[in-house]
Amino acid sequence: MYKKIIIPLILISGVYADDDRWGNRGDVAPVKNAIYAKECGSCHFAYQPGLLPQRSWTKMMGNLENHFGSDASLDDATTKYLANYLKSNSAERGIEYKRSRKILQSIRPNETPLRITKTRYFVNKHNEIPKKMIVQKAVGSLANCAACHTTANKGSYSERAIKIPNYGMWEDD
Amino acid sequence: MKKYTLAMLLCGVLANAGGFSPSIQSYIATLKSEAKQANSSFVDFNAKRGEQIFTSKHIGKKGDSISCTSCHGNNLTKNGQNATTNKIIKPLAPSVNKSRLTDTKEVQKWLRRNFKDVYNREGTALEKGDVLYYIQSK
Repeated sequence: MYKKIIIPLILISGVYADDDRWGNRGDVAPVKNAIYAKECGSCHFAYQPGLLPQRSWTKMMGNLENHFGSDASLDDATTKYLANYLKSNSAERGIEYKRSRKILQSIRPNETPLRITKTRYFVNKHNEIPKKMIVQKAVGSLANCAACHTTANKGSYSERAIKIPNYGMWEDD
Repeated sequence: MKKYTLAMLLCGVLANAGGFSPSIQSYIATLKSEAKQANSSFVDFNAKRGEQIFTSKHIGKKGDSISCTSCHGNNLTKNGQNATTNKIIKPLAPSVNKSRLTDTKEVQKWLRRNFKDVYNREGTALEKGDVLYYIQSK
């Protein structure tokens, strides 16, 4: 009887303790793993593991020799270590985070996306941005999160923190 | 035993001649012995050949014409930029970036990956040594 009340209370207080006034845990759990930040962040933004489901990371880590056309191979021990890190921090493990939850909800059970930019949630969020703002040298592609999301490395993708190089703030309507 | 010590010493002196950091000198020595095995007339690596390897264009892993300079640029004392992701790459030249060519594991990882990306195959010991001499000279 008490359990029914107490558990939600604990959950709520835990959520409130951590983040904003809406009681939301935040966008996506930030990367706190130095090996991940170094190994995966040397060529591209170190995408938070909570931006894709577990099955996507597993598939990706099984083929680093051909990583979106580039060789991103690592020694076996590091590959295994990072695969495990990604798995245990994937979107499913962070559904209290808004973006993890929404990305996850936008992927069909039979899909295993490798590109965050191809998930339906991401596409819907970015489809109004004029191409010229994306293809410019300071950005390049939608995969370059931190080019416009000034707090992306903290796992925060809030609209207030968007600044498109050479164009400025972005306001959704 | 004496012979072995002498050989090790010689390797050390030879590697040191290139001005490499102590931590990767044994890797240079290994590459040298591999290069020697592949071609008995091998004497030493060469920065000029390395430059050619580094700047020439090839059909890479993605099927496009690409060179090492596509991402690292022509001036190794300056930042480069990843041609696919646009991420800034810190200078390769040890003269301005002290962390370069100091960690054998890192050096091996990037030589393996980047030869695959640019040449669509692994580099030979000769090629790797030449490129390392070229980078070290910058």
